[in-house]
Amino acid sequence: MRKSKSLTQKALTELGRDKLAMISFAIIAAYILIALLIQTNLLNLPIHDTVGESYEKPSWAHILGTDIFGRDVFIRVIYGVKISMSIGFITTLIAVPIGIVLGALAGFFGGRIDDFIVWIYSTFSSIPYLLLLLALALVLGKGIFSVYIALGVTSWVGICRVVRGEFIKYRERDYVTAAHALGAGPLRIIFRHILPNVLPLIFINASLLFVSAIKAEVILSYIGVGVQGKPSWGNMISDAKLELVGRGVYWQFLGATCAMFIIVLAFNIFSDALRDSFDPRISNKTKER
Amino acid sequence: MNSGILRYSTYSIIIGLIIAILSIGCSQRGKSLGNVYRYPMVTRVKGFDPALGDDIYSHISIKQVYETLLQYHHLKRPYELVPLLAESMPTISEDGLTYTFTLKKGVYFQDDPCFKGEKREFVAEDLIYSIKRVADIKTKSTGWWIFDGRIRGLDEFRKESQESETTDYTRTVEGLQAPDKYTFVLTLTQPCSQMLYFFTMSYTSVVPKEAVDHYGEEFLNHPVGTGPYKLSEWRKGLRLVFTKNPEYRKEHYPSEGSEEDKEAGLLDDAGKELPFIDTLIFNVYVESQPQWLNFMQGNIEVTGIPKDNYNQAINPDKSLKNELADKEINLNINPSLDVTYTFFNMEDKTLGSNVHLRRAFCYAWDIDKNIKLMFNDRAIPAHSPVPPGLVGYDPDFVNPYQKFDPALAKKELEKAGFPGGKRLPTFEYLSNDNTTARQWSEKFVKEMGDVGIKITVTSVTWPEFLNRIKNKKFQIAGMAWSADYPDPENFMQLLYGPNEAPGTNNANYKNATYDKLYEELLKTTDDEQKSLIIKKMKDIFAEDCPWIPGVHRLAFGLSYSWVKNRKYNDISPGNFKYLRIDIDKRNELLKGK
Amino acid sequence: MLSYIIRRIIQAIPTLFGVTLVTFIVFNVVGGDPVYQMVGKGAGQKEIDALRRELGLDRPLYQQYFFYLKQITTFDFGRSYATKQKISQMIKEGMGPSLSLAVPAFFFGSILGIIISLLVALYRGKLFDRLTVVLSVAGMSVSVLAYIIAGQYYLAYMSGLFPISGWEPGLRGVPFLVLPGLIWVIVSLGSDVRFFRTVMLDEINQDYVRTAYAKGLGKYRVLFRHVLKNAMIPIITRLVIAIPFLYTGSLLLENFFSIPGLGSMSINAINSSDFPVIKAITFIGALLYVGGNIVTDICYALADPRVRLK
Repeated sequence: MRKSKSLTQKALTELGRDKLAMISFAIIAAYILIALLIQTNLLNLPIHDTVGESYEKPSWAHILGTDIFGRDVFIRVIYGVKISMSIGFITTLIAVPIGIVLGALAGFFGGRIDDFIVWIYSTFSSIPYLLLLLALALVLGKGIFSVYIALGVTSWVGICRVVRGEFIKYRERDYVTAAHALGAGPLRIIFRHILPNVLPLIFINASLLFVSAIKAEVILSYIGVGVQGKPSWGNMISDAKLELVGRGVYWQFLGATCAMFIIVLAFNIFSDALRDSFDPRISNKTKER
Repeated sequence: MNSGILRYSTYSIIIGLIIAILSIGCSQRGKSLGNVYRYPMVTRVKGFDPALGDDIYSHISIKQVYETLLQYHHLKRPYELVPLLAESMPTISEDGLTYTFTLKKGVYFQDDPCFKGEKREFVAEDLIYSIKRVADIKTKSTGWWIFDGRIRGLDEFRKESQESETTDYTRTVEGLQAPDKYTFVLTLTQPCSQMLYFFTMSYTSVVPKEAVDHYGEEFLNHPVGTGPYKLSEWRKGLRLVFTKNPEYRKEHYPSEGSEEDKEAGLLDDAGKELPFIDTLIFNVYVESQPQWLNFMQGNIEVTGIPKDNYNQAINPDKSLKNELADKEINLNINPSLDVTYTFFNMEDKTLGSNVHLRRAFCYAWDIDKNIKLMFNDRAIPAHSPVPPGLVGYDPDFVNPYQKFDPALAKKELEKAGFPGGKRLPTFEYLSNDNTTARQWSEKFVKEMGDVGIKITVTSVTWPEFLNRIKNKKFQIAGMAWSADYPDPENFMQLLYGPNEAPGTNNANYKNATYDKLYEELLKTTDDEQKSLIIKKMKDIFAEDCPWIPGVHRLAFGLSYSWVKNRKYNDISPGNFKYLRIDIDKRNELLKGK
Repeated sequence: MLSYIIRRIIQAIPTLFGVTLVTFIVFNVVGGDPVYQMVGKGAGQKEIDALRRELGLDRPLYQQYFFYLKQITTFDFGRSYATKQKISQMIKEGMGPSLSLAVPAFFFGSILGIIISLLVALYRGKLFDRLTVVLSVAGMSVSVLAYIIAGQYYLAYMSGLFPISGWEPGLRGVPFLVLPGLIWVIVSLGSDVRFFRTVMLDEINQDYVRTAYAKGLGKYRVLFRHVLKNAMIPIITRLVIAIPFLYTGSLLLENFFSIPGLGSMSINAINSSDFPVIKAITFIGALLYVGGNIVTDICYALADPRVRLK
């Protein structure tokens, strides 16, 4: 326990020294803040208000111009932060617990339980991901809740696999056997003794999952099963297939793409840095240099 | 040193690859084209079974190979029926029940293995077979409605086809008789003034029994007709290729037409033998971007204008932009025989019982803004279901509720018992799933919200949309209706009580007076009489507001000037046998690029 | 060895069974009713009922499921709801175009990815490494839709370097595949490079590499002789696992470039609630995936006899 904690601390200090990672972290924090402010109505964005003519070019008044109904695109892009963050967040919230619980059970107990859980996830992973996602979204009907569920249900497999692998590795460790001998119950061992060691790995995977959920929303919107009635980046980008070439309306597309680009980039860099700093081999190596 | 080599060799590999790719890409250009016509399609064609062809692209494809008894005159407007496989227009008995058709002699089906090498002439029995086939429930034809209850003995035939294992096609149907090889007698149960139009629809195309029996379930991939073209290649999802039927009988380009047609050069080929073009290629473009770009590059001859490409192609005064005109592109604007409408479920407790509430909706809907944003001004407001171009359309008819007036909307809402929208439940607007539908529903929510009506949008796929409507599980939804035949009856039936869901009366509107008038209309053949009846029906419709009336659209089409003899036909498009290509002009213009 | 292969195949059966269960639940139990779309606009209740009976949708669910299982085991998936075509035929026709895009793109993309990641591993921590990481992440962060729309407009239409869309069988089809292939490579390159880089760095940091250096072996010798050889195992595993998914092609690329493959067929089927088609495509995809896994495992077993005992 103690040893792993100090390792975590060391890794975090390491991370703190990586400037790029810290900038990324600040960006992520800013996005989360915006999403929270909108969610709690502290920031009330007039997304439905008509502020000008239809398809006005970007100007100082509306830095990203207006959309078909003369609504301010910049405001809608900002609102899209909330939609995207909530899609990423809720998807992760659905997928990660499923992945952890199933993975932990399978890895820890082995035997029949393991067989069963492996069966479930190999079933899910052998179905082409995009097809399953689209089919689920289609069947569940339109709207943001279907997006959450469809993405959540299809993306727990990766985490489950990782957690299972780690648990198999750890359950043979001396300290786990010792805990057994001391009379600790399986739940206690799973959550107190093994899980903390696996957490960094889970965290890295979860952040990647977050990103892929945000990106998947675009594809869902393109098929027409995305978010309805609210401005989302996916809708803005898929609208562009009509507006961009036809009308030369690049600003919706540009705004949404950039907003998405920044957060995805930040997440990727941050999780990379996280991985690097938690990998003892790499950190040793860097120190050697 | 070593690493530098590695790096540079990688770069050079990448650059080499790019150059190779580009050179392959460039080698493709600059071929000259023969006598081909290239036409864009938006979806995959279902197949070539005329009994199943209910979408526009299937209709267009089927029409190249199969023929019907009658057709619309290529040039004359309003639409006029002329014979195709019939020798002349039929004689109709005094009581309007018996139609006697004389068929053309010496019409042969295209050579096909199913005929085992023999020439096969088209005879009256083929027509009877084709109609029975639509009636056979096992065919699962989508076209039964055109005959339903109308032909003597045919309903019994259908009933028996449902009960027996194999359908007995030798069973005689009283209303379908062939006294000799070239005479076909049709007997109806009651007069039907639309009957002749049905003989232009793909459902009544003449199919040979041998082909149906020979190909079985694969018949839809092996069209065998009497038409001007044969199917020569079909790569699903990519393209269809048709080649000229070498044994096509002598059909000629029409020599009658209006002065306008003459001026437009549409009579230049009068009396010449059809068809002019050797090869038809239908390309499938699922997305509008590749279709548009391909047209602009001259890879297809014609295109519609996607909503978002409108401003790029058309000036505010509805003329063509210079860049396009310079490319020798022509613009054709034609009114479509259609109507769009937003309808209430009249069986809904709140909506169905409260006419003032419905009127409030109508007043709250900004129709002009709708036309401007969603249709690029390519539409006119609809005041009744009947579109311009049909008997019964009256440009002076004003529906008092086809008007945007939020103040009046609020007043009506008050009369409805919900001042300012108080105590009014939230209504559900059922929407389809594409971009346009989403934008449309956003506008609906906003405008209704402005007068105090709260709307939630439920957005579903097209099949689910239909399910909800046909099961009456909706409150408000939008649709469009395009004419099957140029008769106002086709529009008035959208509100006929017995046509309620799962029929075409999606609003489930029921009004006894309206229904009685409709039944009267069915039997009327005189145009003036029809107009009078329709006027009465329109008044009832307007006062009751089962719909928020939408628009009648205008079709904007672009074509290159090397395409000759093009005349817009909204009811039965795809008349490619009349078209001619100025091949030299095309090659010259395309080379110049 | 034979017994190992047989065991692996038997192990795969429950997975395939699970796939049938999932697809059945999604489409037959929760999925909507496709009948109204199929009957056409003039149909009445009688026609609707008749069609429902014809499709077997009025039967109890367990019967429908057995019917589905029967279809799968005989590889006769019936006919499409929307196009009335034979589904096995549709899939056969669609597979060629899909593979003609997917396989070369996948091949070039992977090779390019390996070369770049090797270079990156060589220059670990230097500007080139940083730049590549940022570029590949940047490449991943833009939606594929953006690449398609912009690529088709600028590269195909404006510059005329490529045909806008289309497909031809055989060599004549090459020009049509270049642009979509290029987009495919760009989209996949980012994540490939990142993954390969991690694998290579893992290897570089292994003890044996340090030993090799200590023995005085040159940098390139170590890199090519040892690192690349060992790194190839996880790389190839990843690639092999990706191969079965190539058969569905790319949904969006095929749609925009009019490639008549299984990808655009899937979108079409999804848009028209053509459940039998989606079920068939899904199942065959799963079958290939499971098959691919078995082949990989067998290869491992051949390489390392210890695997067989597990």
